[in-house]
Amino acid sequence: MSSAFGLDLLRWTRFALRNTLRNRRRSLATVLLGGLGAAAILTGGGFALFTYESLQQAAARDTGHLILARAEQFEREEDTPMQYGLADFEGLKKRLLADPDVRYVLPRIAFTGLVSNGDKSAVMIGSGIDPQAEFSVRGPFLKLKAGKLLDEDSGKGPDILLGEELARSLHAQPGSALTLLASTTAGALNAIDVRVAGVVSSGVPDVDRRLVLSDLHTAQQLLVTDKVSRVGIYLRRLELTDAARDRLAPQLAPLSLRGWEQEAVFYKAVRGLYDRIFGGMGIVIGLIVVAVVTGAMAMAMVERTREIGTLRALGTSPGQLVRSFAIEGAALGAAGGLLGALIAFGVSVGLDLAGLEMPPPPGRSVGYPLHVTFSPELALATLAVVSLLALLAAAIVARRSVRKPIVEALGHV
Amino acid sequence: MSTIVAMHGIAKHYRLGAHEVPALRGIDLQLSRGELVALTGPSGSGKSTLLNLAGLIDDADAGDYRLSGTAVRGLDESVRTQLRRAAIGFVFQSFNLVPVMSVAENVEYPLFLAGVPKREAQARVAEMLERVGIADRSRHRPDELSGGQRQRVAIARALVKRPTLVIADEPTANLDSRTAGDVIEIVRELCHQQGSACLVASHDERLTVHCDRVLALRDGVLQ
Repeated sequence: MSSAFGLDLLRWTRFALRNTLRNRRRSLATVLLGGLGAAAILTGGGFALFTYESLQQAAARDTGHLILARAEQFEREEDTPMQYGLADFEGLKKRLLADPDVRYVLPRIAFTGLVSNGDKSAVMIGSGIDPQAEFSVRGPFLKLKAGKLLDEDSGKGPDILLGEELARSLHAQPGSALTLLASTTAGALNAIDVRVAGVVSSGVPDVDRRLVLSDLHTAQQLLVTDKVSRVGIYLRRLELTDAARDRLAPQLAPLSLRGWEQEAVFYKAVRGLYDRIFGGMGIVIGLIVVAVVTGAMAMAMVERTREIGTLRALGTSPGQLVRSFAIEGAALGAAGGLLGALIAFGVSVGLDLAGLEMPPPPGRSVGYPLHVTFSPELALATLAVVSLLALLAAAIVARRSVRKPIVEALGHV
Repeated sequence: MSTIVAMHGIAKHYRLGAHEVPALRGIDLQLSRGELVALTGPSGSGKSTLLNLAGLIDDADAGDYRLSGTAVRGLDESVRTQLRRAAIGFVFQSFNLVPVMSVAENVEYPLFLAGVPKREAQARVAEMLERVGIADRSRHRPDELSGGQRQRVAIARALVKRPTLVIADEPTANLDSRTAGDVIEIVRELCHQQGSACLVASHDERLTVHCDRVLALRDGVLQ
């Protein structure tokens, strides 16, 4: 029975496909419009995917795939610096590196205070890092504007990197002597003299107005502590994050372990926004595809009214005719979806070859490459949805047409 | 001879605005197996309406209609579809072939609907095309055929499933005299051979001489 049904379906499909070629110009226009709609969905979706992937990587690169700290560090404000800091970083590092998926373990100290050139002081937001490991793991996350990075000449005493805007405010340049002033863990004020090794830009002017980076030892010396604020854990791949967190969290309790996504506020905000924008766009384009297929099928049915009457007179059931028209609609939708996938693939490759740049987003000073990810999964899903919508549109239009009285249909001119 | 069509007191009205116009009034009609009956009458006399009712593509307002002994008036459309599929063949004035199907596919279509296995269907199609004399055109599309050839295809399509009743509405109206004679002879021969009753509406006197009986319809009444 199933084989008979398969043969029937094959026969109806062949009939429907031939019917799509009856008015080639109209079918071509329908496929072109469907294709442009699908291409718009895939291009917009591909741009969103590229943005998500880039922001995921950037967020995970900034914080580590996993972030280890005391629970209070995530949930509360510290009354005094390092109140919720982590002791015995080296012990933790050793334990973490024993896990096969962990590649690097980087310490971070967050501090705030003032930075002064003797004449002028400015508020700073500082980070104490392991320079060599940090720059080797995170790559060129900062743009060096002048001087050198911290790891290049670490033997000559406490060096710092200054954000570009902060350096301009303090008239500082590589080699300038500055003083860092901050509260210690005991609540007292402490000051240390440092030398500017380099001037850097994060790409975000607001960050560059306050940015100070020092090595871990300098930060600990300023705060008079041997603790670190947080530990960034870098895995072999981003996709391992959830599994590694589930595995490591019980081992590290009562310390708290968070995934990068929980700390990626900007990523989550952009994703929320883009999901709405591109989701809405997809719905609008889907409706346009439905309207195009509906129009084309309605015209086809009017033209074939007498044929519908003939087929009904011969004993074809309304259901069989609806099925045939639905297959015809789905075929037009599928052809449009395939064309859209080809266009989107071409756009993706073309943009890569053209090497176009997007202008800097609001609040940033550097642009980024314009890339549209071609996702086979998204292309398949779009193809399926466009085909299904076209199938439903055709079926709905056909339902009315095939139920027209046979005598009336046969008399149609 | 067993009765295929038995109509008694069949009436049909059409509504034109607020008025009801009678199309058929008290029709009594009987057709037997293998009988070829011509239905003549001027335009508007009700020939097509009677054919539509006999072919179950329309339903009467009053009267009794039995097809092979089964009461068919007032039946649900799905049951009428099944009956048309199994028992009734149609030949239309304008041939009404499906343009995207080849000659063989057009003729095979009723067998496909009836669920006849592919191999058997193909054999029956080949035999029928041979009998109507267009076997050599089986792969052609209808628009590649002459009017006479198209009507032969339509006849083959109507008769290939060996229906009990064949309805032919002006089957020779679009054909020249010689072709019309050929076509009606084919219908007559096949209906006699297969035992199908055939009701043919026509103005064409050349056609009626080939029929077993001629009925005249005027103002919705059989004379």
